[in-house]
Amino acid sequence: MSSMSLVRGALFFGVLAAFPYALDRPWLLDIAIFTLLYATLASAWNLVGGYAGYPSLGHAAFFGVGAYAEALFYQHRSAGGGYGPLVAALPVGVVVAVLALPVAWIAMRTRADVFAIVTITLLFVVQSLAYNLHGLTGGSQGIALPAPPFDPAAFERPFYFAALALLAIALTVSFLVTRTKTGMFLLAIRADEDKAESAGIRVTLIKLVAFGLSAGLTGAAGAIWAYYVAFVYPQFAIDPLVTIGMVLMTYLGGRATLWGPVLGAFLLTPLQQYLAYRFGGAQLYLVGYAAVFLGVMTLLPQGILPTLTGRGLRA
Amino acid sequence: MSSEGLNLLEVRDLTRRFGGVAALDGCSFAVEAGTITGLIGPNGSGKTTAFNVITGFTRADSGEVLLDGQAVRPGPGPMYRHGVIRTFQRARVFGGLTPVENLVAAARQPWWSFATPRTRRGEHAKACDLLADLGLATVSGMPAGRLSYGQRKLVEFAAVLMGEPRLVLLDEPAAGVTASIVEVLERHIRAWHERGVTFLVVEHDMDVVARLCDPVIVLDHGRAIACGAPSLIRADPLVLDAYLGA
Repeated sequence: MSSMSLVRGALFFGVLAAFPYALDRPWLLDIAIFTLLYATLASAWNLVGGYAGYPSLGHAAFFGVGAYAEALFYQHRSAGGGYGPLVAALPVGVVVAVLALPVAWIAMRTRADVFAIVTITLLFVVQSLAYNLHGLTGGSQGIALPAPPFDPAAFERPFYFAALALLAIALTVSFLVTRTKTGMFLLAIRADEDKAESAGIRVTLIKLVAFGLSAGLTGAAGAIWAYYVAFVYPQFAIDPLVTIGMVLMTYLGGRATLWGPVLGAFLLTPLQQYLAYRFGGAQLYLVGYAAVFLGVMTLLPQGILPTLTGRGLRA
Repeated sequence: MSSEGLNLLEVRDLTRRFGGVAALDGCSFAVEAGTITGLIGPNGSGKTTAFNVITGFTRADSGEVLLDGQAVRPGPGPMYRHGVIRTFQRARVFGGLTPVENLVAAARQPWWSFATPRTRRGEHAKACDLLADLGLATVSGMPAGRLSYGQRKLVEFAAVLMGEPRLVLLDEPAAGVTASIVEVLERHIRAWHERGVTFLVVEHDMDVVARLCDPVIVLDHGRAIACGAPSLIRADPLVLDAYLGA
């Protein structure tokens, strides 16, 4: 069982590591980078939304805080050899995780739909701050990051591998969660939080652990994204659509499964990028999102993986 | 009731109102260490509210809960750590976890246990032993949500024992299960009682109460109106009045 998971993981990352060499087209790598980042985001969301059963709609706020942290740190610095800002995603992730803890401590006193509303409020509060704290964020003018000095012919590769490494971290974290008592406690909390508490499970601590890991990974993804797109603006860095993407991908692939969120991201991100490219500013892909959401709700309420393996979510 | 100091649990003057209804109205009683104490009363007399207040699921408007003579602030987590563990009227198990995992999740653990392996060998063996004792060996690896109601009740009971309780609060253990499961439960309550665990049992089935419990506390309209051996309770005019109504 455990060795099977390791073989599967090694195979998955082996293929993905070879990908840029096999299909070296900038536009393909561009889509691949977003796909990997979304796979990380969905895996991160799954820790809170899937395993713990707390449907956060505010995760884009942590993505944005990560993006802004990266931008603020590098706005007056040079990118050096170009790799520093990629590595910086990790400390940025740690900072975002620490910032998320007090937020989670308050938000996770609410449950279910109230929690969803509290977290979506957080998203708009953070977006509002980004728009209005001119001295810090530059408001709607945004912040420019230093240009990476990478060879234009292979410009995407460092970002691709950074996103791949972050996905590896996210999956390792998720894997460890499922193999430790954290995963068991989270499933217990999702099933019946009051009962979990009376069974001696330290529910607040476990929820904070899950939320901190989740927010940290989300923030790190935001940092890589910020460096890649070179500019952070409030409307793109803190975008409800990022949250919706994370949620939808997790639901599509299968909540509370290790590979479900990755599968969802690998299916939806290329589709979304393709539609956005074909229909441009019309944002018709949003209609596609809605269609996928309806399809998942009616046909695959458990998501693809649990349906395939017959291991549904049980309350 | 009994002399001071021997009381494992004591509640003093608990009051809890829901709107205009006083579910508990100056309720005081004590559970002596080493007993299987029954808690009976007509529907709506405050038994479950008393459980909820003692375990911290409901806050009392006034009154206090004492353990070993010390006032404690009830809360589900703190009471667990004090060794006071309860079951629920409708058996509550974690449906997505197996019975073994249900037990391991409920075991006494240090705060950093979240970073330890999901089920360690020792825990697994202990959980399997407990489940086998209760006749659940064959289902110990399937999702608990698929078990019958009676089996879930047994899993919930086993999970409580996994927490090394001093005082177990059972909320209607015999309700809704077959006679054979009631028998298994009774046998294990006695066995664990002999090992020094104290029980407080809410139960409607008077035969079960008469066989198992001594003393029995009777609640009516949110207060304790009698306490004594089952045979005495049955003859108490106040109790008859509460049940048969006047």
